[in-house]
Amino acid sequence: MNRITKIIASASIAIVSVTIGTSVYAGEVLQRVLDAKTLKVAVGTDWGPISALNANHELEGYDIDVAKGIAKYLGVKAEFVTPGWDLIVAGNWQGRWDIGMGQMTPTTERAEKLDFSENYYYGHVVAVVPTDSKAKELSDLNGAIVGVTTSTLEEQYLNQTLTPNWIGAKPIEFKFKAGQVKAYPSANIAFDDLRLGDGIRLNAVVTDQESAATAIKSEYPVRVLGTLFSAPGAISMMKVDNEFREKISAAIKSMKDDGTLSKISMKWYGADNSVEK
Amino acid sequence: MLYQDTVEPEVLVHKPWFLTSIFAIVLTVCLMFNLEGTSFGDIMRPVIGDPVQSGIYGRVAIAFVIAVMFCVNIVLIGFIPMKAQIGIVWVELLLLSLAFFKLFDLSMPFIWKNVPYLITQGVVTTIYVSAVSLVCASLIAIVAAIAKLSSNGFAYAIASFYTSFFRGLPLLMQIYLIYLGLPQLGIVLSAVPSGILALSLCYGAYMAEVFRAGIQSIDRGQWEASRSIGFGFGLTMRRIILPQAFPVVIPPTGNMFISILKDSSLVSVLGVWELTFLARTIGQPTFRYMEMLVTAAMIYWIMSACLEVAQSRLERHFARSTMR
Repeated sequence: MNRITKIIASASIAIVSVTIGTSVYAGEVLQRVLDAKTLKVAVGTDWGPISALNANHELEGYDIDVAKGIAKYLGVKAEFVTPGWDLIVAGNWQGRWDIGMGQMTPTTERAEKLDFSENYYYGHVVAVVPTDSKAKELSDLNGAIVGVTTSTLEEQYLNQTLTPNWIGAKPIEFKFKAGQVKAYPSANIAFDDLRLGDGIRLNAVVTDQESAATAIKSEYPVRVLGTLFSAPGAISMMKVDNEFREKISAAIKSMKDDGTLSKISMKWYGADNSVEK
Repeated sequence: MLYQDTVEPEVLVHKPWFLTSIFAIVLTVCLMFNLEGTSFGDIMRPVIGDPVQSGIYGRVAIAFVIAVMFCVNIVLIGFIPMKAQIGIVWVELLLLSLAFFKLFDLSMPFIWKNVPYLITQGVVTTIYVSAVSLVCASLIAIVAAIAKLSSNGFAYAIASFYTSFFRGLPLLMQIYLIYLGLPQLGIVLSAVPSGILALSLCYGAYMAEVFRAGIQSIDRGQWEASRSIGFGFGLTMRRIILPQAFPVVIPPTGNMFISILKDSSLVSVLGVWELTFLARTIGQPTFRYMEMLVTAAMIYWIMSACLEVAQSRLERHFARSTMR
């Protein structure tokens, strides 16, 4: 073959192999997990009872135990990586990790980029105020400065853009309109600003009830004002492998059926948050 | 005069006009803040009575005592030779910083429990990321500096585009672009290589300008002389220009190295377990954030101080030729 034909042939082979490489769908993630015998799980290190570093600097928490249970069901080992909540929610994981934890609520906007398993956590969101706050009911927070974790449903609730579009969602009532919404990378930083006192940096923080309970247990001068809405949490995956999603959902279902999920929930929360109430 | 010569100047702090102006400045500054509530007000209790209720008399008394102590301090320091002056002032500033941190009421047992882990996991990762970035950045920089000085239009255009682009974006944004953006082209790097790549490219651009300044500081006569004895480009650079340019670039390059050490903390946004990430994640959930921040800050300072000592030794080694 002459030179031009050789160049065109090798170029077209390269292009075709690239497109073939990016269009393998069925079983891709599952095959990778089973081949490497490792399930890469994305968690956080400062999420309280969900996942945090213990005194020996190892990760432990509700999500950690659930992930280990799923890995056991698949017959592989669980390996934990800690990217950051905004990187998990953003999608486009590029195979850096296989599942994302953090009790992400499966809304329709998120479902455009991520696949969700069965729900493994049911919780509700509360508003927390300092103990010296004058607020007695949720409507007292109208016009208040409220802190919230970024890229969460709580943030959408405060901006009044939240629509309850997950399975089994009850209609949402906006119990107050915040004057200013301050977004923080994690709830702990918001609580550090809240503990300074009412109105110094924040009037209230909106977060899930377990983070609030952890802050109160750590003797932060805060109290829960009221419940805002309930939301479930599910495991997120990339939208490339249906077989993988079904396997993960089956793993959670088997953990629910044999009571492991309830036991894990009792261990970390003192209550069974793995069933809808 | 800012170079060593044989004229012995009068000690500045022993001149009356200087001393009175310093006294007046310190007095006004102390009067602006209400220092009665601090521990200094407690020390002054025998003189002014209950500090909180002593009003304007208390404030003036406290400000006066502070100003007098400061002026006596600097007058006494003026009497001792220069090396001792440096030592004494350093010790005083360190004691002031320690007193400042004492105000935070930190839990020392918690700090000591976590320091070994911070060092074995955090410091090792930080040093590894910084060292690799440093080497790569220097290599990129020397190539880019020579390209920016060349008369080849292609090389100059690429080098100037590179320095403009990578000095023009914030480093944090560069890290995110490389971590999240490169995968769109099919190149998927994990967190640590992305961080190293971003740091190398960004600091390569800054250091290219530093190296270019160093090379340009060499007199044109050196280039002409080396050409007249038949040296080509490579030989000139290796034997004549770079050995003379090296002492000139040591201070700014030392600056960049220390800066890389600190900017490696930005890799923590990708979840790499280096020093800043560990300080945040150990400190926040246990609500001992201040302890961890102060500890990590001290560790960074000690590492930077080691680099500073290395830099000053290197400078002294090359300054032998300029001693009289």
